[in-house]
Amino acid sequence: MTKIKRRTFVGLAAATTTALSMPSIAFGALPRVVVIGGGAGGATAAKYIAKDSKGAIDVTLVEASKRYYTCFFSNLYLGDFRAYGSIGHNYYGLAVNHGVNMVHEWALSVNNAAKKVNLGSGESISYDKLVISPGIDLKFESVNGYSAEAQSKMPHAWKSGTQVQLLKNQVKGMKKGGTFVMVPPPNPYRCPPGPYERVSMIAHQFKKSNPTAKIVILDPKNKFSKQGLFMEGWQKHYPGMIEWISAETHGGIKKINAATMEFETDLDTFKADAASVVPAQRAGRIAMNAGVNKGDWCPIVPASMQAQADENIYVLGDASIAKSMPKSGFSANSQAKVAANHIRGSLTGSKVFTPRFANTCWSLVATNDGIKVGANYKATAEKIDKTSGFISKTGEDSNLRKATYEESIGWYSGITSDMFS
Amino acid sequence: MKSKLVLLSIVFSLIFTNSIFADQKQLVGADADYGEHLFGECVTCHNSTGLGQGIPKITGMKTNQFITKILAYKSKEKENAVMQMVAERLGEEEINSLALYLSKLK
Ligand SMILES: Cc1cc2nc3c(=O)[nH]c(=O)nc-3n(C[C@H](O)[C@H](O)[C@H](O)COP(=O)(O)OP(=O)(O)OC[C@H]3O[C@@H](n4cnc5c(N)ncnc54)[C@H](O)[C@@H]3O)c2cc1C
Repeated sequence: MTKIKRRTFVGLAAATTTALSMPSIAFGALPRVVVIGGGAGGATAAKYIAKDSKGAIDVTLVEASKRYYTCFFSNLYLGDFRAYGSIGHNYYGLAVNHGVNMVHEWALSVNNAAKKVNLGSGESISYDKLVISPGIDLKFESVNGYSAEAQSKMPHAWKSGTQVQLLKNQVKGMKKGGTFVMVPPPNPYRCPPGPYERVSMIAHQFKKSNPTAKIVILDPKNKFSKQGLFMEGWQKHYPGMIEWISAETHGGIKKINAATMEFETDLDTFKADAASVVPAQRAGRIAMNAGVNKGDWCPIVPASMQAQADENIYVLGDASIAKSMPKSGFSANSQAKVAANHIRGSLTGSKVFTPRFANTCWSLVATNDGIKVGANYKATAEKIDKTSGFISKTGEDSNLRKATYEESIGWYSGITSDMFS
Repeated sequence: MKSKLVLLSIVFSLIFTNSIFADQKQLVGADADYGEHLFGECVTCHNSTGLGQGIPKITGMKTNQFITKILAYKSKEKENAVMQMVAERLGEEEINSLALYLSKLK
């Protein structure tokens, strides 16, 4: 089987420019990779498999939307540091520069035995290797009283898109001196510092236009990412505006009521004038459908990102259990390159290098006050293990914080160009 | 005869004055394919096409300059937490492979 493919590859590689005009039988003889999800993990994987195989692998990317709005920097849009249009990206570059076949549809199910992906249109696409990077689904029911309906009054805005615009509209329209309630999710979730960067950006809005407003964070956790750095920044830039209440202090959120905007806890009932509720999360539904999950998330083989449940499927990004890497766009991009190299190796016999993983997450606390946390990782038999890392320090010089913010702008332009062009 | 001399002197000057050419001879253990693979890690942040706002462009960097900078991050002489972390796990083979790949990029 592999031999036949390899021979076909040699013939076709010499004539890649004419591949499009070839009869479909010859075209179908190329090894096929299907990628579900064109986000940080999937777009990167599709690009690198196509780019590095130089036409030897037929790559199809199944992505529901024609435009991808990044979650990263969506907080900066809330704080007016970024225009909404600037965080939207299209897939032309993947098609034009790398020959990725874009299919803008929902993948409905996976037939593992027949190695087929069934699409919303009723068509199906077969694969030799399948990459699943669908991001997250929200467990609305994890917060008593929250639901898909309540998301219009208390947007989660955790999958980017118009939810973020709705949240901004509600923040800007909040009554003077009102209270904004933020409910962050429990671990593990997409972007550990995200809820606290969001609070910082909303505080930045209020400082400009609604300086007597208050922000209450009802956290289901007792500590959070970059806590010391955020707390210091809030004290410095928004004194008296933000109150963080840990789970052990409020005793748990018993019930929320979207109609009255009330949050019931053991400590008190909090009334909000605007709110954002981010519930618990799980891997995107298609991962469950493909049977590669174990509970809410998908166990993987650390060295390759192959699903433990099916060696022909790779799971990337937020959907995977990539412990100890956080669920971030940077992590997903890094994992995608490991998987792409492994997939190409197994389909064309190209060299497979020792996997290397890395992550850095930047957050913005206030104008020119950026902070960051990062780590290197390597694959062991059990997990993706942290080998070294760093975090910004409290009391850092303002020039360094400004440079860190500017660095984050460079990173955004870098990663989005790496994903889409 | 004259043209042969000119050619000879061009070859001569290439060998001894073209730093890229000279450098490449010293890139012990360098493998351009490995360099290309490792470069994937760089372009998560270093935009290979844009203006290099916030994070400098590294494409087009001279081989010597690249190696000197990476070594300075590795020894923590040069400041930047992310780059120190990146450089920390690059050995000679990795640095040279990256240098070789970078020198071949337009
Ligand atoms: C507020 C916020 C701030 C953040 N900030 C940062 C940051 O600064 N840095 C950072 O690194 N990360 C950040 N993140 C995290 C980052 O956005 C995610 O970790 C990253 O997007 C995960 O990539 P992914 O490929 O797993 O999923 P996604 O990027 O979500 O991509 C999934 C894609 O799959 C598609 N899809 C899903 N199911 C199907 C299907 N069945 N058929 C077809 N298409 C499908 C979706 O439409 C989507 O485009 C932030 C997140 C949030 C919410």
